[in-house]
Amino acid sequence: MTRPDKTNGSSTTPNGGPAMQAKKKVRLEVPSRFYGTPLPGVRLEELSGTLFVLEGTDGSGRSTQISLLTEWLESEGFAVQTMGLRRSFLVGQDIDALMAENSVTRTTLSLMYSTDFFDQLERRILPALRSGLIVLADRYIFTLIARSAVRGIGRDYLHGIYEMALRPDLTFWLNVRPEIAFDREFKKAQTISYWESGRDMSLSNDLFQSFIRYQSLIKREFEYLSKRHGFIELDGEGSVSEVNRVLRKRIASHLGIRSTHYQPSHALSHLWR
Amino acid sequence: MVMLHIFHNGFTVQKYDMRLHSGAFHMAITFPNIPATEDAAPVKVAATKRQYPGALVVVEGIDGSGKSTQLYLLKRWLEIGGYRIHFTEWNSSPLVKSATRRGKQRRLLTPITFSLLHAADFADRCERQILPLLHGGYLVLADRYIYTAFARDAARGCAPRWLRNLYSFAPVPDITFYFRAPLDVAVNRIVAGRPKLKYYEAGMDLGISLDRAVSFRIFQERILSNYDQMIETDNFILMDGTVRVNKLQKLMRQIVGERIDLGQFAPKKK
Repeated sequence: MTRPDKTNGSSTTPNGGPAMQAKKKVRLEVPSRFYGTPLPGVRLEELSGTLFVLEGTDGSGRSTQISLLTEWLESEGFAVQTMGLRRSFLVGQDIDALMAENSVTRTTLSLMYSTDFFDQLERRILPALRSGLIVLADRYIFTLIARSAVRGIGRDYLHGIYEMALRPDLTFWLNVRPEIAFDREFKKAQTISYWESGRDMSLSNDLFQSFIRYQSLIKREFEYLSKRHGFIELDGEGSVSEVNRVLRKRIASHLGIRSTHYQPSHALSHLWR
Repeated sequence: MVMLHIFHNGFTVQKYDMRLHSGAFHMAITFPNIPATEDAAPVKVAATKRQYPGALVVVEGIDGSGKSTQLYLLKRWLEIGGYRIHFTEWNSSPLVKSATRRGKQRRLLTPITFSLLHAADFADRCERQILPLLHGGYLVLADRYIYTAFARDAARGCAPRWLRNLYSFAPVPDITFYFRAPLDVAVNRIVAGRPKLKYYEAGMDLGISLDRAVSFRIFQERILSNYDQMIETDNFILMDGTVRVNKLQKLMRQIVGERIDLGQFAPKKK
C-alpha cells in the first residue's frame, strides 16, 4: 500500500499555537460540520435537524437503545429518521452478497461500505436534517474506519475518505468488554458470525479466541477514535434502562427537552431489562 | 513539456519533429492558460521503488481519442510475440457490476457515490488482478486507470485532493500514454458511432444542458482540461490522436521498448 497524503485533517490549528502543548495527546478535532472538504452541494444553514450517533460492537445494545430512543423522542413530538450499515438502496444488498462470498478483498469491501454510507448520507440523512428531523445513526463512520484500520488500511487514508461526512452533534460509544459482547451475541444467535469474529484476518482457528482478539483490536481503535472525536463513552454493560436514562439525559439537554421521564410502551417493554 | 518527455525517453527530437511540433503548437493554441483550481497545489507523485518484478502500462484520454485502438494493437503485438501480458480495462469487475447497473438505471448516483463505486470496482481489480500479476512478473496493460477517475470525477465536482487519497492504494504506472485528440474530433468519433449517449456518460447528472449532445461535449471538454493538467504532475507521454493509426502504433511500440525491459516478459527459450 502506498502511504496516503498526510494532508488530511491536520489543518485545525491555523496559528500553530494552543495545540502545540498537547502534542503527546491525541488531538481533539475542532468542531465544524464537516471533517474536511465539505460534501458538494450542501448548504449548512439548511440543516436544522440533529444527528446523534450510537457506536459500539455487536452485542453492545445499540439497536435496543435506538428503538427505545425513537419511541421516547416521538412521544416528545420529534420526528426521527434512522440509518445503519448496509441499509442503502444503492449497494446494501450488494455488500451482503459480497460478504457471503470469500473472494472480496479488504479495500473493495471498505469502499463498498463507504459507498453505502455516502448514499445514505446524501439520500436519507441530509434530506432528513434539512427537514429538521432527529437522525439516530446505528453506527457511523467510526465503525467503518475501525474495521478497515485493523485490517491494515491506513488511518489517514480512511479519514481522508470520510472527511466529507457530516460531523454528528453527539456520538455515544456503548463500550463493552469483548467477553460480554461474546456472551450476548451467542445468546442472541446461538453462533458467532464470520465477520464479527474477524475470521478473514486469520487470528485464531478457535472461534472464541478469534472473536476476542478481533474485538479487542476494534476496541483499541475505538479508544483512539474516542479521544480524537470526543465520544461520550457509556458503560454498555449497564442495564438497558440505566444506559437509556443516561442517553435521554444527554440528548434532552442537547435538544432542550425538560422532562426525561420515559416508560416504554407495551410494544417495547420486552427490551426493558 | 512535450520535448522533455521525449528527451527523457531517449528519443531523438529529429525523428519525431513533426509530431512534436504539431502537438506543442496545438497545446499553445487551445489551452493558453489552464485554469487554476482550488487544489492547484502541485501533486507530488511518489517516486517509490517498485516492489514487484512486473510492469504496468496504461492508456488514458477522453472517449474517442483513439487510446483503446492503440492499446489493442500494442496488446496484439505483445501477444503474437508470446510475452507474459495481461490486459485489463476500467469498469469490468463483476463484483460491483449489479450495483453500478442499478445506480445508473435508476439514476441514483451522486458525484460522490459514483466516484466511490468506481473506486470499489477498481480496488477489486487492483487487489485481485493487477497487483498479483505485477508481483507475478507480468506486463499489465490497462485501458484507463486512476487518471480517468481524477479527470472525470473532478469534472463532476469531487475535490481533486479527496480523489488522490481515494486511489492512493494504486501502483504508479511505468508508462502512462495520454492520447489527445481535439475535442471536436473526439466528440464526433463518439457521436457518429453511437445511436444514443448514455445518461452518465453524457454528464446529464450535472444538469449542464438538457440536450445530451451538448452536455456530452461540455463534460468532455472539462475532462480534457483536467487531463491536460496532469501531463506534468503525472508524467504522461502525450500522444497525438490525430496521427495515422499505424504511425502512432509504431511510436507507441518504440516507447514501450525503450522504457521497459521487454526481455523479462519474453517467452522462455528452450
